[in-house]
Amino acid sequence: MNPLELTLGIMTAVGGFVDISELVFAAKAGSAFGYALIWVFAFSTIGIIVFSEMSGRVAAVAKQPVFNLMRHRLGLKLGLVTLAASIISNLITCAAEIGGVALVLNYLTGWPYLLMAVAMTALLIASIWVLPFKWIERAYGLLGLFMITFVVALVAIHPPWDKIAGGFIPQVPHGLSTKELLTFGYFMVAIVSAVMFPYEVYFYSSGGIEEEWGPKDIMTNRMTAILGMGLGSLLAIAILSNSAQLFSGINVDPEIPGSAALEAAIPFGKWGLVLALLGMFFAIAGAAVETCMANAYSIAQFFGWMWGRHKKPWEAPRFTMTWIVLFLAALGIVLTGVDVMMLVEFAVLFSILVLPLTYLPLLLLSGDKDYMREYVNGPVAKGLGWLYFAIITAAALAALPLFFLTSGGNG
Amino acid sequence: MRRVWFLLALAACSKGPQADLQYIKQARSAGAEWALVNEQASAGKLTATYVGSMHQWLRQQIQTASSGLTEPDARYAIEMQALLSQPDDAAPEELRAHVAKLKQIEDSLESA
Amino acid sequence: MKPDGKLKLVSELLDLPLLDSEGKYCGIVDDVELVGGAGKDLELKALLVGPGAYAGRLPRLAMWLAEKIAGNRITRVPIDRIRSISGSVQLDRPGDELGLHRSEKAAGKWIPRRGAL
Repeated sequence: MNPLELTLGIMTAVGGFVDISELVFAAKAGSAFGYALIWVFAFSTIGIIVFSEMSGRVAAVAKQPVFNLMRHRLGLKLGLVTLAASIISNLITCAAEIGGVALVLNYLTGWPYLLMAVAMTALLIASIWVLPFKWIERAYGLLGLFMITFVVALVAIHPPWDKIAGGFIPQVPHGLSTKELLTFGYFMVAIVSAVMFPYEVYFYSSGGIEEEWGPKDIMTNRMTAILGMGLGSLLAIAILSNSAQLFSGINVDPEIPGSAALEAAIPFGKWGLVLALLGMFFAIAGAAVETCMANAYSIAQFFGWMWGRHKKPWEAPRFTMTWIVLFLAALGIVLTGVDVMMLVEFAVLFSILVLPLTYLPLLLLSGDKDYMREYVNGPVAKGLGWLYFAIITAAALAALPLFFLTSGGNG
Repeated sequence: MRRVWFLLALAACSKGPQADLQYIKQARSAGAEWALVNEQASAGKLTATYVGSMHQWLRQQIQTASSGLTEPDARYAIEMQALLSQPDDAAPEELRAHVAKLKQIEDSLESA
Repeated sequence: MKPDGKLKLVSELLDLPLLDSEGKYCGIVDDVELVGGAGKDLELKALLVGPGAYAGRLPRLAMWLAEKIAGNRITRVPIDRIRSISGSVQLDRPGDELGLHRSEKAAGKWIPRRGAL
């Protein structure tokens, strides 16, 4: 295990953890329910760690990406259903990320939002074209570490640390009305969805193949998943805690991504604001890359095309055309003028509906001795995997009713 | 459980103040944020570009909320229009006065 | 596993990725060609690759959609071109020689060959 590579891998995972959905829901959760939803972030993070570790292990041992194996395991019909659901979910999410990063550029420069969306899409396409995989991942992931500004801001505002610590204990606040209870339930489901987005697992596993992981990299995979995502979730929890401290007492329910940047501006002024916006820019841009690439990986792997950014774009032409077309399709959604926050809501909603379809094949594959040999799921991975599968299935069933009952979490 | 089904039915086909509650909340929050932005801007903590963008987006939020109302002549609708008529750099106290009124209406609807 | 050995057709062969002799992905085993008949042994003759091979495996509407999007081409890979079968089907020839990279080559004409590090 190369310590430098491992450190870079962990830092990349930290910087790449937060995307537009986590940013928005963390800020809203804090203002609406104080510190009471911290435990849901922590709980969901364990879930994504479990499944990311599994997907990385499958890539390292079977030396095949998840979607190749998934088609073989599920067959053509169910595989196509999974693929279609995954494409739609990731496409909406990618559109939300492009819209989000265009908004951040608008806050930074004042230039028109739609123009920024076009410019940003062009920049993302160019960066994936020019840079090899490792550089793409590292650039966005490491620059996303500007998000640490939110952690520093939290320390600077002297929050009630005992209440933050208390937020890690599973709870439902007392004295909520029925509607508030349903809204709390909706936030729980939305946070699970935002943290455990399907694209994260597909990108992570395909990334393992891109980096030619083998059984010797099992420990690297484990540490990257645990430390990278664990520490990354602290960024989201910092945003939530800042919001609880700064917004909940003054009638602010952050509705737009720009509100989160105020969390760093209030203690630090303009520098805090700019650093927070830069962090948001790189984190959300990185997420846009991941969602688009995850979709392209899935399609190419499902149909057996050549794929990967470890190849030059012309060495895997159908894969290259696919990710470019997907970026343009996501941009097209943004250019319809649909509100970014609505895209975020739909991304979160659609993703939770497809999460069981995403994680069941992975659970079965990683537990299959024929593929995994001695690296098959141990009792901890098995137990946690099935526990979380049950939870995401329950969340998927509850998502639509809660969405309608609470007007998308607006009560 | 009966309460949940009732709320579901209500969500599906209601008009009037209860249906407008989500828009009142949206406008109240956007107004409160507007006040916060202006307060921080006057303390020199925000860039002019950011403030300009936030004003634009927050106004849009209030405008969208106002357009979604099923009772355009209700007291809360008038309050939203009053908020929209404020200049971008309105004093935070002025904005918060309107927010407080919207909050009052919101609380009374929620407890109804 | 050898192609002339006993195979569990559904669980062990269908939907496996194909890798040519150069290690390049060249499709998925979309269907198989068998010869034989009622009361006789079935013998595997070829692998079928391409959207046209979905015909026996998808409902009619789904097949119609697949044809509209991807066409109905089928490439036939004779059984004696298979070197081994494990987590993928390894072929003993480059994919080009077996007609498996046609779509990739067609797409390649649209991709400029410059600018990437």
